[in-house]
Amino acid sequence: MGESYAHPEALVSADWVQEHLDDPKIRIVESDEDLLLYDVAHIPGAARIDWQGDLQDQVVRDYINADKFAALCSRNGIAQDTTVVFYGDASNWWACYAFWAFTLFGHKNLKIMNGGRKLWLDEGRPVTREVPSHPATNYQPKGGDEAAVRAFRDDVAAHLKASRPLIDVRSPKEFTGELLHMADYPQEGSLRGGHIPTAKSVPWSRAVNEDGTFKTVDELRAIYQKDLGLKTTDDVIAYCRIGERSSLTWFVLTYLLGFDRVRNYDGSWTEWGNLVRAPIARGE
Amino acid sequence: MPAALDAIIAELRDADRQERIELLIDFAKNLPALPPALAARKDAEHRVEECQSPVYLFVGVADGRVSLHADAPVEAPTVRGFVSLLIEGLDGATPEEVYQTPADLVDHCGLTEVLGMLRVRGLSGVLRRIKREVARAAVAEHDSTSA
Repeated sequence: MGESYAHPEALVSADWVQEHLDDPKIRIVESDEDLLLYDVAHIPGAARIDWQGDLQDQVVRDYINADKFAALCSRNGIAQDTTVVFYGDASNWWACYAFWAFTLFGHKNLKIMNGGRKLWLDEGRPVTREVPSHPATNYQPKGGDEAAVRAFRDDVAAHLKASRPLIDVRSPKEFTGELLHMADYPQEGSLRGGHIPTAKSVPWSRAVNEDGTFKTVDELRAIYQKDLGLKTTDDVIAYCRIGERSSLTWFVLTYLLGFDRVRNYDGSWTEWGNLVRAPIARGE
Repeated sequence: MPAALDAIIAELRDADRQERIELLIDFAKNLPALPPALAARKDAEHRVEECQSPVYLFVGVADGRVSLHADAPVEAPTVRGFVSLLIEGLDGATPEEVYQTPADLVDHCGLTEVLGMLRVRGLSGVLRRIKREVARAAVAEHDSTSA
């Protein structure tokens, strides 16, 4: 047994979730890249919250406002003091994204189920197609932690000027500028390729194992603290293409390694790579 | 457009949101397995680059008819369902019928409303790829029969 994560309560096992399926203080939430997966099968009692249809504003490129967030939580039976456990496909990218988005609104008691949807299914745990109906709540948003966890482009520019650490979590070819988008995601490209100057490349995938679980704290420290030279007291901004993969890195740095101040730049490369006169570096 | 595809579009258009999801899941379940000869050729040449998931497409034209085979992961039911829908709608059609399939087929089926803008563009890429491959195969067939 190695050391435990900085905030071990933020990560739960599939066993833990299975023991808490009927706990009224806990809501399990599935968030996926592929919308249909929830309809195919989900953890009994789990609600679906979709990053695109539920969490994003449908007109402005932004998240829903506090009223809509309150309505979303209320109809899914989530109260201010409900513990929400997220899981999903793609090594929990979207689960981490939803976790991060809930943080914007100040919701506490959030957790990620280690290994996500795939591990749950691979272990032959119970699933259902039945959509639960949880008693509605009257959610009162606390108002949020946005400034603590979200970076806008001006924040990134200031960070750059102050030589503070930026982490680019995209694939190596997106970082060097060979690709204008992640392999296979042509619809989310930018007009320019490359990365934000001074950003260090640490693809998100280095933080997870083959089975979708997170690496151990020692392995993670070796990546972010030893190799990259970051300190837990550093002020860090992470970005990717639209902020989903960097949500996973944000989760790793904040909860698993205990960094004090990590922000996710959700505008990410689809904003920076399209901004007129924004400085860009290419190559390694 | 081939009658088979027309019927699928009509069914999806008439369905509500949840029914569309169920139809797409059914299509995903019913995607025929690749014949072994093709299953051995899941390589870069047959991979549909526009899709985030590994989707493989095999397009042929023989005697003026298009034959379509494809494979897509069970973990990605949206694209698997759409690929299956295209095979059911376009397999056995003439190359001309395939070209005439509207580029915004995804919208015609009412899937954009269900899936959201960011998710459907990769699906349209599958159709573009099919059209391109059919054009190539049709030219190859023409050349070989006229040689």
